[in-house]
Amino acid sequence: MTEIKDAQRLEELRRKHGRLAPDLSAAAEPSPNDDVRSRQPRFCGLESGHRACQGCGEALGARLVSETAGPDVMLSNATGCLEVFTTPYPQSAWRVPFVHSLFENAAAVASGMEAALKAKGKRTKVIAQGGDGGTYDIGFQALSGMLERYHNVLYVCYDNEAYMNTGIQRSGSTPHAASTTTSPAGQERMGKRHLKKDLLSIIAAHHVPYAASASVAFPVDVRRKVRRAMDVEGPTFLAIHSPCPLGWGHDGALTIQIARLAVECGLYPMVEFERGEVVSVMPIRDPKPVTEYLKVQNRYRHLFNDKDPRAREEREHLQALADFNIARYNLKGVGEDVMDTDGLDTVRRGGPVQVM
Amino acid sequence: MSSVLTRSGYADPATSLNFKTGSWRTLRPVHKHATAPCHGACPAGEDQQAWLAKIQENDVRAAWETLVNINPMPAITGRVCPHPCETACNRGQLDQPIAIHNLERWLGDEAIANDWPYPNVPAIDSTRPKVAVIGAGPGGLSAAYHLTRRGYRVTILEALTEAGGLLKSAIPMTRLPRDVLDAEISRVLEVGIDLQLRQRLGRDFQIDELGDEYAAVFLGIGCQKSREWSVGGAVPADLHEGLHLLKGWVDHLSMPEAERVVVHGGGNTAVDLCRIMKRKGAAEVTLITASGLPGPDTEPDDVLNVVPRELDEALEEGVVIIPHATIQRLIMRGSRVVGVEMVSLKKLPGKSGRKERIAFEGTERVVATDMVVPCIGEVVDPEGVADLLHGGSYLRARDPFGHLEDHPNVFVGGDARGDRGTVSAAIGDGRLAAAAIDSYLSDTPLPDLTPRPPIPYAGLNLHYYEKKARVPVPKVPPERRTDDLEIEGAVAGAAAIAEAHRCFSCGNCLACDNCWTLCPDNAVIKTAQLASDGSHYLFDYDFCKGCGICATECPCGYIEMIAEP
Ligand SMILES: Cc1cc2nc3c(=O)[nH]c(=O)nc-3n(C[C@H](O)[C@H](O)[C@H](O)COP(=O)(O)OP(=O)(O)OC[C@H]3O[C@@H](n4cnc5c(N)ncnc54)[C@H](O)[C@@H]3O)c2cc1C
Ligand SMILES: Cc1ncc(C[n+]2csc(CCOP(=O)(O)OP(=O)(O)O)c2C)c(N)n1
Ligand code: SF4
Ligand code: SF4
Ligand code: SF4
Ligand code: SF4
Ligand SMILES: [Mg+2]
Repeated sequence: MTEIKDAQRLEELRRKHGRLAPDLSAAAEPSPNDDVRSRQPRFCGLESGHRACQGCGEALGARLVSETAGPDVMLSNATGCLEVFTTPYPQSAWRVPFVHSLFENAAAVASGMEAALKAKGKRTKVIAQGGDGGTYDIGFQALSGMLERYHNVLYVCYDNEAYMNTGIQRSGSTPHAASTTTSPAGQERMGKRHLKKDLLSIIAAHHVPYAASASVAFPVDVRRKVRRAMDVEGPTFLAIHSPCPLGWGHDGALTIQIARLAVECGLYPMVEFERGEVVSVMPIRDPKPVTEYLKVQNRYRHLFNDKDPRAREEREHLQALADFNIARYNLKGVGEDVMDTDGLDTVRRGGPVQVM
Repeated sequence: MSSVLTRSGYADPATSLNFKTGSWRTLRPVHKHATAPCHGACPAGEDQQAWLAKIQENDVRAAWETLVNINPMPAITGRVCPHPCETACNRGQLDQPIAIHNLERWLGDEAIANDWPYPNVPAIDSTRPKVAVIGAGPGGLSAAYHLTRRGYRVTILEALTEAGGLLKSAIPMTRLPRDVLDAEISRVLEVGIDLQLRQRLGRDFQIDELGDEYAAVFLGIGCQKSREWSVGGAVPADLHEGLHLLKGWVDHLSMPEAERVVVHGGGNTAVDLCRIMKRKGAAEVTLITASGLPGPDTEPDDVLNVVPRELDEALEEGVVIIPHATIQRLIMRGSRVVGVEMVSLKKLPGKSGRKERIAFEGTERVVATDMVVPCIGEVVDPEGVADLLHGGSYLRARDPFGHLEDHPNVFVGGDARGDRGTVSAAIGDGRLAAAAIDSYLSDTPLPDLTPRPPIPYAGLNLHYYEKKARVPVPKVPPERRTDDLEIEGAVAGAAAIAEAHRCFSCGNCLACDNCWTLCPDNAVIKTAQLASDGSHYLFDYDFCKGCGICATECPCGYIEMIAEP
């Protein structure tokens, strides 16, 4: 009987606050594509109707992860764009159970969920997810603890290289020289003064079974890495480079192109660690100059001011950082490889050529 | 909530579906089927992308059926067409063009070997009108085939004792084996075409007499009369005209002997003749042509009009070609020719704007020779068609359909038009004339020939394709070439299917899933059935925000962003 009372109470509150319950009845205006929608030959974890910006890399990354990992998963999500745009009350774009608590505790909540499921004898996998702010910075302690306590959780960081949801503040992940609202380019500085934190190495130092970087430009590779991480019993970590058209200042139509360039120039290396060791990298067939990547984004616009001598210096600095990555991880491929940056995205009739 | 999540179960639909983000859109993605360059260049009108797609789907028979809906003779065109499709192929800008003609030939050969029946052939209906086709060359055969498929009763009236036109009488067996030619032609005829041989227009019947029995007439009579040839009025007494020699060779392997031969002209007749002369033992065979050889300095409309492969093989066999030159004087001893004086020339835009041949003074030189063979082309034999020629050399048609002025039920196609010159062009004419005859007899509008917009190389997203070399084609080496052994070998089976997979699918959906995979809004829906535009993908405009990712990442340029209506 309490059930009916609760429902009444909820209804009253909704009326009071002008929010009516979503209508899931058959009478609700169906989308003309609902029929084919329900018969899609892939699982859908993140539905349409979410409120991400046009061309959002994070939305794409989350869609790819949830559809690869689902349906037998539960999500714990940190505060941030992904949480805000997928779950504006009273709607949810998720088709899998989803918990949001705080900005800083996604990994802690996930640890608890995993422990509870284990106690109940369930095999459902828990995925924690957050932005770079929530991962590199504020949620880092919770994440480190989760890894150290060896919870069977996959943590996914959608790395758009700043605190986007609150208006593009610099984070530990923001690359050197990128302009944000709290690291603005101007008289004093050429964008962010500091370097991008090498989080992946820090995670790897936890001696976890699997930690890797990925990019939305290579969905086949994202899926493979998610499957790999899901198969592992124990803590695993994935950072997915996810362009943000608003924060990076580019046309949403170029999200994939830009993400691809980040990998091809060496600034965002694709690396897989197991137990702290590099076990695999995605070779770059034909490294591109960093300027090709930088010049299409407004966050680096100040690096192309011919009158400012610092511009050239910073461009060279970023090129040196890319070269450093290429040398460090031995990213320069030899010859043509189906698993390199050019081979991996090859398609043919019927889909991607790579089936892994 | 009783829903249990298992690996096979789905969760309840997400409530965000009540929030239609489609209202944010200012641009919308639409599918746009463009004209692939291969299709745009094919004189027969084939859509190679369409049949290559069927091979990619491993459905070889469906590929052949798609092909012969347009061109009934792929085993023939796959061997003799100069394949402008390959010159135009976008893939040529990445590595090498798709081996279209080899695959076309393979499909034709497969159909012959497996005796696949031609698709869409209705049973003969004795109440339907009859149409007369004059000439059983590729143009006439194509017209007859397409008319039969449109339900007309067709009779071909052919002057000679065999069907095939120049395919049969002039094209050497080394390029077009006769068993293949005969098999494909007889299969075309078997769709229900009535072939009457030894029926020469002008001698055995007149066009006017056909009206009683036939509702329309297609003229595919080609060009049977050699152009007059002389150099400043001089003609050697023992003049042999090129096409005549070739026909004699093809018919009974006879060829006059000479040590040093000069062939004057361009085109396939000239090159075929040079090669046969060389093989028959002539020490020096020189082709003097006003056209240029393919290369950066030669404008496309100035290139020697011959199948590219044939030119390479001729050079390989030792034929000497002197481009951009003409014969300006015959050096005679009595009535016999002993040498020619050449001069360099080029076709340059003259005062009128039209190209004129300009000879360059000071470039004269002499070549000793025992025989000069002109191959300067043929014109329509006026017998039986004098009224239609209006004093000209060709049956000039008003449009691509072959309409003739003042004769609403007489149509022309192929070489007789004067503006064609290839087998595939004749086949294309036959198809268009069949459509025009159908429209005339059924009083329906002509089909719209406005092409779809083209898709240039720059319209593709090349990240999604890998370099891959074109399939190697076996070839008989020069020293082992004979009078009738086919020189170019076959590309078949797995190698052919792999070659088809090199096709970019320019301007049409490759079913690569990119749009479906990369839409952040899950607004591309994949369907099991074909959607109305022939693809397997739909845009869900309720949710598509118009970001444009799908359009940028479609490898084949099949998605275009247009202003929101
Ligand atoms: C040596 C040579 C090599 C060639 N090589 C190539 C090549 O490699 N690739 C290529 O694409 N093209 C080639 N061509 C050109 C090609 O053969 C012609 O463009 C093509 O055959 C034209 O087809 P058609 O149907 O218009 O005419 P044709 O093939 O000339 O056929 C005309 C038919 O009409 C019949 N006919 C004519 N007058 C009458 C009449 N009064 N009454 C009844 N019947 C009549 C003829 O007997 C003949 O059967 C070559 C031509 C020559 C001469
Ligand atoms: C403890 C706390 N501090 C600050 C905030 C405000 N806040 C909400 S989202 C966000 C930024 C999130 O950035 P990131 O984690 O990189 O995710 P993104 O939005 O970029 O995807 C901030 C600062 C908060 N919700 N909680
Ligand atoms: S007929 Fe010629 S142009 Fe057309 S597809 Fe065949 S080879 Fe290419
Ligand atoms: S790649 Fe394919 S579709 Fe494109 S031009 Fe070449 S054959 Fe035609
Ligand atoms: S990627 Fe999706 S949202 Fe973007 S334009 Fe295409 S269908 Fe619309
Ligand atoms: S992206 Fe691929 S699947 Fe989508 S329309 Fe283009 S070719 Fe077809
Ligand atoms: Mg962020």
